[in-house]
Amino acid sequence: MADQLLDPLRDALEGQIDFEGQRLAELITTFLLGAAGIVAFFIGFMAQDIRLTLYIGLAGTALTFLAVVPPWPIYNKNPEPWLPPSSRAIGVNIDVDGSKVG
Amino acid sequence: MHSTVVRLQNVFSFFTTVAFCVAAVIALSSFINPQVPTASIRLRDVQVYVRKGRPFYYSQKKEEYAYMSFDLDADLSTLFNWNTKQVFVYVKAVYPSHKPGLPDSEAIIWDAILPSASAPWHQNHYIHPSPKGSQKKPKKNSKDNKGKSQAEAWPHGQGILHLTNQRPKYQITDFSGKLANRTSVRLELGWNVQPWVGALVWENKRDFGMWKALEGGVSERFNLPAIGKKVDGRKLEMEKGKEGHRLEVGGEYPIAGKGKRV
Repeated sequence: MADQLLDPLRDALEGQIDFEGQRLAELITTFLLGAAGIVAFFIGFMAQDIRLTLYIGLAGTALTFLAVVPPWPIYNKNPEPWLPPSSRAIGVNIDVDGSKVG
Repeated sequence: MHSTVVRLQNVFSFFTTVAFCVAAVIALSSFINPQVPTASIRLRDVQVYVRKGRPFYYSQKKEEYAYMSFDLDADLSTLFNWNTKQVFVYVKAVYPSHKPGLPDSEAIIWDAILPSASAPWHQNHYIHPSPKGSQKKPKKNSKDNKGKSQAEAWPHGQGILHLTNQRPKYQITDFSGKLANRTSVRLELGWNVQPWVGALVWENKRDFGMWKALEGGVSERFNLPAIGKKVDGRKLEMEKGKEGHRLEVGGEYPIAGKGKRV
């Protein structure tokens, strides 16, 4: 009962994404933050306004957090086809006090 | 990057790296802004007198104090670039020590905080006195200065000072208590450029890349007079400065803007 209620909640909080999604998230983080830094510096330098640099940099960072942190559907397009659980197929016999287990 | 918490940590971690790199580049960008500061400073009046006690010290020691007023023409406008928060500019009296071989003694007689355009308003910021002949009188109430535009605060342009017969903010004494008849005294202009990010820089005595050394900025050498017989109190009035909380020798309380006791 508790598991039925808590499992979806835990999944939502954990926000797991698949392997391709992880690669994509890493790439987007690097690109967005790097670009924000470079753009912030150059626009601020052109305008000779250091406040502009600060605000562009912070806006870019906020955008990156928004784009990368939640488990957006785009990060779950390539779910890994896990094998079904099959302990018998391995052919290991576990003997506990004379009776077969597993 | 498999879960929310890990992504949060990774993004924040890389953000700190980017922020540090941008700050480093901003700090370095100050060096490609050419600086050509010039200044000339002349002594106007110098007096030496004896007073008892020191501000904030329970000392009854009699010490000799020197009062120096001066003229200053300085063009520090090139010190202001996009990374400058404020320039703390000061005039110091430099004189040889009593004992030979020791470095010269230095004491600041006047200072001011010159804000850049990007600095938020602050009551301690320096407002250049209006040039003679102009009708406008500087407003006494500091609150009225809040709305002052850059042009009003700088009648000659940002970072350009033309002060005539400027009263000192500080009367100076020597740790020996003796100051009369000192020889080879000169007034020197100095400053700190305080950037938004990067290192605090002092005035440059020699060229450094695109930063030219300060041209001038040292007065001719003069001698301190003997102790004056009678001191005209009004004549030796100190400049209060924007800070307000200034102490005079013999005064028990800091002096507020209009002589109020704080």
